[in-house]
Amino acid sequence: MAVMDLNPLWISLKTALVATAITFILGIIIARWMAGREFKGKSLLDGIFILPLVLPPTVVGFILLWILGRNGWLGSLFFEIGRPVVFSWSATVIAAAVVSFPLMYQTARGAFEQIDANIEDAARTLGASEWTIFWRVTIPMAWPGIAAGTILAFARSLGEFGATLMLAGNIPGRTQTIPVAIYFLVEGGRQQQAVIWVLVILLISLASIVALNYWKKYQRRFSSHPVREVTADS
Amino acid sequence: MVGQEIMAILGPSGCGKTMTLKCIAGLMTPDRGRIVLNEQVLFDSQQGINLPARQRKIGFLFQNYALFPHLTVHDNIAFGIRQLPATERNERVQQLLGKMRLDHFGHRYPVELSGGQQQRVALARALAPEPEVLLLDEPFSALDTQVKERLEAELLEIQSDFQGHVLFVTHNLAEAYRLSSKMAVYETGGLLQWGERQTIIERPANEKVARLTGMENIFDGIVSGIEGSRVDIGLGTGYLSLYPDNLNRLVVNQEISVAIRPEYVKLADSREENCLTAELIDGKEELSFYSYTFQFQEETNIKVHISKSAGPRLVAGKTYRLCLPSENLVIIGG
Repeated sequence: MAVMDLNPLWISLKTALVATAITFILGIIIARWMAGREFKGKSLLDGIFILPLVLPPTVVGFILLWILGRNGWLGSLFFEIGRPVVFSWSATVIAAAVVSFPLMYQTARGAFEQIDANIEDAARTLGASEWTIFWRVTIPMAWPGIAAGTILAFARSLGEFGATLMLAGNIPGRTQTIPVAIYFLVEGGRQQQAVIWVLVILLISLASIVALNYWKKYQRRFSSHPVREVTADS
Repeated sequence: MVGQEIMAILGPSGCGKTMTLKCIAGLMTPDRGRIVLNEQVLFDSQQGINLPARQRKIGFLFQNYALFPHLTVHDNIAFGIRQLPATERNERVQQLLGKMRLDHFGHRYPVELSGGQQQRVALARALAPEPEVLLLDEPFSALDTQVKERLEAELLEIQSDFQGHVLFVTHNLAEAYRLSSKMAVYETGGLLQWGERQTIIERPANEKVARLTGMENIFDGIVSGIEGSRVDIGLGTGYLSLYPDNLNRLVVNQEISVAIRPEYVKLADSREENCLTAELIDGKEELSFYSYTFQFQEETNIKVHISKSAGPRLVAGKTYRLCLPSENLVIIGG
């Protein structure tokens, strides 16, 4: 057997890590912002944030193309400066980040909303600034939820296929992530190689979920609220 | 409030007592008004002043304690004094731990403590930054009797050390009375009366305050005569006499309400004044007294509490002679 092309592994890992980093930051900021407030249109906004979770990946892909494609309203700008988004590695990151964002956002928001408002108020009466409260009270208390969201986002980023294919294509060595590789290997009749990648993904995903549950058990000793379990509908 | 006092805010659940506390602390913003603490304006709607909570020198004890679950007892207490140098900070924490009988608990987490212990940590945490006023939201409601008594004793002890004012919210009249020197009585939406404890108890401003402070017998009548220091009040078929301190605002034919606590109504003895005949229509047995309901006129009932040691249980349906000692009669709004 010829030496297997390991590129999909590096590309997938890089993509998933960067996408997760992006959703981590964005997810926390937006979730925290939404968790406290009540305002008109909140449900609508919330719906938009969750949408990529329920839409078929091809629909997500279509919408991303519409925005970032060669003729898209953002994409055309990038095209002008000679750095088109479509079929670039960045496209894999964008696709992965968009589909995993809802997971991070929802989990983090749930974690923030579970925090007893009195506790943050107590910190205020003790002289803490909002910034201090965020770092010393809110984040530590929401941490199990945030960690859960991060791992879910990572697993989802790793497994992204439909939108990735549409936006980034199947360019070996550039945008061919593991799921994309699996698809084309199976298409091309190369089952054996496909199986290897399938096992890789299985292993990484399983390890992530197990690590997550273990971490949450460890964190549970601090809070009086039960921590959310990883379920199919998280 | 002047000097170091304990004020109780008394009122039924959901009437805005906790909101008042939160407004004082800066956790909620009132629509209108002014809040001044020790000559510092915390809030003034007209002048647009609204000091954020962290700049008010206020300690707040939440009803559910609101301890930081991810911090140790020591770190919880130290939270408000993080800016102090470590030695001073640790010293103060140790001192408070000692006062709260929580030495050696410093390294534990809130989830490992009992309710009473958690509350003491919350109290220590609120006191650590040496606030000018301590606000307590229903501090006794979640505790059982023994723990409650200990906490009350501790609170009184703390109060003698503590340099500031103490304000606590409760729906329990007995607690409010026991611990406070001043009281504010609230009802849904508003303050009814505030002042010295004795004033509220003995001279309620209106019927609502009277009811909230346990005066269950309120009679509406008319001033039928004023002779010397005695005022006669006509009630339906009979009249009551009393000797108020202040006769100035009373005029014959004025409508007036008088009240008496159930504990002070007596079974007739040798008294002549203020006695009436009434039929016992209901009786309940409490732990150490009987709670009777008598009817003496159409639709006029009297509630009477008689200690069990005073005699055997009275018989329903029989008529008895009751007396309302003039010294225990209170004029409402007087």
